[in-house]
Amino acid sequence: MVKVKNPYEVLGVKQGASEEEIKKAYRDQVKKYHPDQYQDNPLSKLAEEKLKEINEAYEYVSGKGQTTKASNGWSGRSAAAGSQGSQGSQGGDESFKQVRMLINNGNIADAEALLESIPNKNAEWFYLRGLLFMKKGWYNEAVMNMKQAVNMDPSNYEYRDALNKMNANSNVYRGNANNRGYGAGPNFCDMCTCLWCSDSMCECCGGDLIGCC
Amino acid sequence: MFGYIMPEKPELKIKEYDIYRAYYCGVCKSIGKRHGQIERMTLTYDAAFLAMLLCSTLNIETKLVKESCIVHPIKKSFVTYNEIIDYSSDINIILAYNNIKDKWEDDKSKVALVAMAVLKKSYKKLMVEHSEKCAIINKRLGDLSLLEKAKCDSIDAAAEPFAKLMEEVLDYNKLDDKTRQVLRWLGYNLGKWIYLIDAFDDLEDDIKSASYNPLLTHFKYNGSGDGISEFKNQIRGQIEFILLYCLGEAAKAFELLATNENKGILENILYIGMLSKTDKILCKRSCGKGEKSV
Repeated sequence: MVKVKNPYEVLGVKQGASEEEIKKAYRDQVKKYHPDQYQDNPLSKLAEEKLKEINEAYEYVSGKGQTTKASNGWSGRSAAAGSQGSQGSQGGDESFKQVRMLINNGNIADAEALLESIPNKNAEWFYLRGLLFMKKGWYNEAVMNMKQAVNMDPSNYEYRDALNKMNANSNVYRGNANNRGYGAGPNFCDMCTCLWCSDSMCECCGGDLIGCC
Repeated sequence: MFGYIMPEKPELKIKEYDIYRAYYCGVCKSIGKRHGQIERMTLTYDAAFLAMLLCSTLNIETKLVKESCIVHPIKKSFVTYNEIIDYSSDINIILAYNNIKDKWEDDKSKVALVAMAVLKKSYKKLMVEHSEKCAIINKRLGDLSLLEKAKCDSIDAAAEPFAKLMEEVLDYNKLDDKTRQVLRWLGYNLGKWIYLIDAFDDLEDDIKSASYNPLLTHFKYNGSGDGISEFKNQIRGQIEFILLYCLGEAAKAFELLATNENKGILENILYIGMLSKTDKILCKRSCGKGEKSV
């Protein structure tokens, strides 16, 4: 992993690929390793490094001009995403802020111990507990705590957003699988329905697709 | 390991299928050479995946040789050998032995006792060879049986020991720290997926034999009302969420590995094979026993 990588390889394009191809590959890669994808993931630092590598490769491959803009664009967003997390304690007391700081620094065990010692179990407490479970890979507990936080404070955007993101995450995986050909090709039932619908629609307009019905 | 990690055969290229088979047969033959012929019967698909994943991460080129096999004496097929294949075959034996031991402790079946006796010699040898890994695996399985005895009602807590076990299995110690960190997270999520999908798969059997199952305790199954199929319908959505989350995290970890060799096959397994397995076991796509071996 230490060796210097071929920038074309990093982007996953052939040497001499067209500008369009490079741009598309770059966009796909950035989407894949975007900080949003790895937000509550223990590997987020590595994903960030990978993104940096991709940005550098793109910069190298496509020449300086436009790329500084693109790479700044993404890194700017990633910094914003990070600070959003740490700012979020709306009016919470000092210990919640500390827990957030520990989570941001990746110090999960200490954050957990501190959180458990807080007697005031309000919506933020459940939200932070959900976040911690997320990082540990305890997805069921994480969702239960997040839901509790949302129930206790339905107007809080941060809590609802976290819950929505979790729900979206498993759909992302299924989407990726579908892109690779999973479930491709209509099944028999779909085809029949499709024919039947087309026929009905044609008939509505006065025509007919299947003469016998 | 339970053999849930399989490729989706119709989506593999024929070339890829040959290579996958070469890994599978490689692990099988390595078990035969290093441990004994009867031990080959414990082979699982998971071990083939482990071998292929680690080989790809270590950038080991697949060298195919054509050999015949006692299972198919006439037809020659491709095989590949290297130290990772040997490692996977060792892990396969360690986990198979522990799995059988667990079965024997549960129901005292004679079959399990005989199988244990067969594997005992190889297992003892491996305890010396992979002493560190064996110690951790034993510790995790000990934690698991304590949780099972205490009838743990948290899904995550119950799945934790097996997830941690798989984390250890994937953590091949000749790799650099960063790669090992990624492999550990990949292993953790695969382990959790395996444990939970197995729990869902075993629901009927566990109800019949009144055995522990984390899903029954967590969702408070009381045996009344509309019975097992209604119970499954109620929990299906939530279990699907957790299983897909595990696979999503595993896939994210995989994308951070510098895999090149056989990437297509690994992607097939992680993105298509395991999703299709999940759907099949949760009975979403087609219900029935039409499972074919690869």
